[in-house]
Amino acid sequence: MITARPVDLQPIFYPESIAIFGVTDTPDRVGYNILQSVLFGGFTGKVYPIHPRHQQVLGCKVYKSLADVPEPVDMAIICLNQFATIEALESCGRAGVKGVICNAGGYRETGEAGQTLERRLVDTAEKYGLPVIGPNTLGIINNDGNFYSTFYPLRLPPGKVSIISQSGGIGLNVIHMAIDEGLGINKFIGVGNCSNIGFADCLDYLENDDSTSVIGVYIEGTSDAGRFARTAGRVARKKPVVVYKAGRVMDADRFTQTHTGSSAGSFRLYRDILRQHGVFTVSSVSELVAACKALALQPLPEGNRVGILTHTAGPSVVMIDHLKPAGCIITALFDETISRVKRIIGSDDPPVVLKNPLDAAGLGFRGPIYGSLAEAMLQDKNVDLLLAVYCLHKNWELPAVELLAAHKRIQKPLIVNFVGNWLGCRQDQEFLQKAGVPLFTEPEKAAVAASALVHYGTRQKGGVCCDC
Amino acid sequence: MTVNEVIELAAASGRHLLFADEAGALLKAAGIPVIPCRVALDEEDTVQASAEIGYPVVLKVRSSEIVHKSDVGGVRLALTDECSVRSAYREMMGTARMVDQRAQVIIQPMAGPGLEVLIGMTTDAQFGQVVAFGLGGIFVEVLDDITFRQVPLQEKDAADMLESIKGSAIFKGYRGGKPVDTNALTEIILNISRLAEHHPRIREIDLNPVITYPHGALVADARIRCFLK
Repeated sequence: MITARPVDLQPIFYPESIAIFGVTDTPDRVGYNILQSVLFGGFTGKVYPIHPRHQQVLGCKVYKSLADVPEPVDMAIICLNQFATIEALESCGRAGVKGVICNAGGYRETGEAGQTLERRLVDTAEKYGLPVIGPNTLGIINNDGNFYSTFYPLRLPPGKVSIISQSGGIGLNVIHMAIDEGLGINKFIGVGNCSNIGFADCLDYLENDDSTSVIGVYIEGTSDAGRFARTAGRVARKKPVVVYKAGRVMDADRFTQTHTGSSAGSFRLYRDILRQHGVFTVSSVSELVAACKALALQPLPEGNRVGILTHTAGPSVVMIDHLKPAGCIITALFDETISRVKRIIGSDDPPVVLKNPLDAAGLGFRGPIYGSLAEAMLQDKNVDLLLAVYCLHKNWELPAVELLAAHKRIQKPLIVNFVGNWLGCRQDQEFLQKAGVPLFTEPEKAAVAASALVHYGTRQKGGVCCDC
Repeated sequence: MTVNEVIELAAASGRHLLFADEAGALLKAAGIPVIPCRVALDEEDTVQASAEIGYPVVLKVRSSEIVHKSDVGGVRLALTDECSVRSAYREMMGTARMVDQRAQVIIQPMAGPGLEVLIGMTTDAQFGQVVAFGLGGIFVEVLDDITFRQVPLQEKDAADMLESIKGSAIFKGYRGGKPVDTNALTEIILNISRLAEHHPRIREIDLNPVITYPHGALVADARIRCFLK
């Protein structure tokens, strides 16, 4: 919101009573799904569905208008068409509602007429000082308060990561990938057209939201990118922010403008300026989720020196491709660590080269040996963070127990890459992540996760300079 | 003249784009090392100015009508004596005055060879004022090796700009060449950032080339565009 800052979004995320405009009795309409979403998500406050023609939907009494609702509501969700939305917003303003979500599209993303309509929407919001999320949005989720107000009924694992997304589709992509990755979500904000509440307002809010410790952002473009970048940089000093900027190609504007009415702007400016403000950026949804997961689970490393333990070389090569450009150093191991490794694998002259990445090959895959090697590397004073690679096998057990034991003894950040599939690794994922150790099945994700930790670790605690 | 006076003067005559001598005066006022520049009244004045500046000199057309100087033969480099200055002046004015009766010339000394870089500032629709840095000539045109930062820049940002372009190794000296004065470059970058921050009426600055030496750097050509209000 341009006029009054900071905006109080608390009533939108933690309402005690809500009104939903446009609740119909069929599941093919947005209103029905939003009501179901609210109920299914376990909202404990009061819910007042509004529709002029229905009496009851999903067991809830339906009111004819906001004026018929027996008490003032904290917030309203308006799932009417783009024209009716503005009248409903006006009635919310008059009734002293403290925050509104407008789901409908059909505004500036559609052209001139839509632009005029959106101007009216913004004017109405500003007239009443009423914070409006959207329009053209999936809605918001506050998992911390069991308040699910998107039109995709969901229930998500609880967690500390909050997501701001310009797109509903990519927002859902992040949400479902987070479910696969065993990553808990705290809040989700679909900012849509950002007409009244934009990225920076949401960042301001999440900065002071105690239940959020990591913020992930999917952005296509915004007219106040300057404030967005500065705010992201400021918030990232307090809690990590990870940004995925899409719209990389030359004529991206053509596609983003008809999506949320925003130009993609120059991808290079976003890349360079987010770097200037010390914000960690990624280039895919899976990287966004991987980085957020590691940042949510693990403490930040003391520096940028990374150790890699594996029994197969390839994944470490792939990891290094990601780690080096991100400023990580593939550190040398102390001599005493090497001696210790020799004792663990029981050979003074093994047929493998003992260095970092430590690839003990056939000598290192047995659980107890693998665990001891992990511990030796974690204990090395040159290692700030360890990446441990192991491939799923029918007969060899994944060394999750051993890794966790080593991690418990030496509490440096640990990221596990069990090369495999979710079916084969699901139990280990739950076991490790419950104890705060992130597990990934792809080396690329594990490397991005490590890079994110190192980025914010070195930002807070300094690191070794890398000129190589 | 102060920065504001330069901007006001151009704005008063309805010009967005500053003349080269005005751009020079503005940069000088901002503490940025820029090649000297003289406006000549006529041919004799041009010859006299050239002699005072010292050969070789550069002649550039000064006109509010002519935006792309080189398209109309409006830039003549490395003129070594009075004779070449006279003929360059006549040719240049012959063409230029067909477009703009009030066209004049400016005379500058020819800068010595060095590493050419680009430093600029533009007002982006989404980010507002941003500073640009890249290697000059072919590097920026073909390889697009350029990096941006949001105004205001801190010292570390300017240093990071030099490091984050692909061709940054060139600053350390290559093929036996001496390393160039990177401090002089970061100083110009920071000065441009301060200039933009304090003067939001400046819409665009294009210092290309900035010639960099083992000691110091010098702006050899500057285009500055302002908002009229």
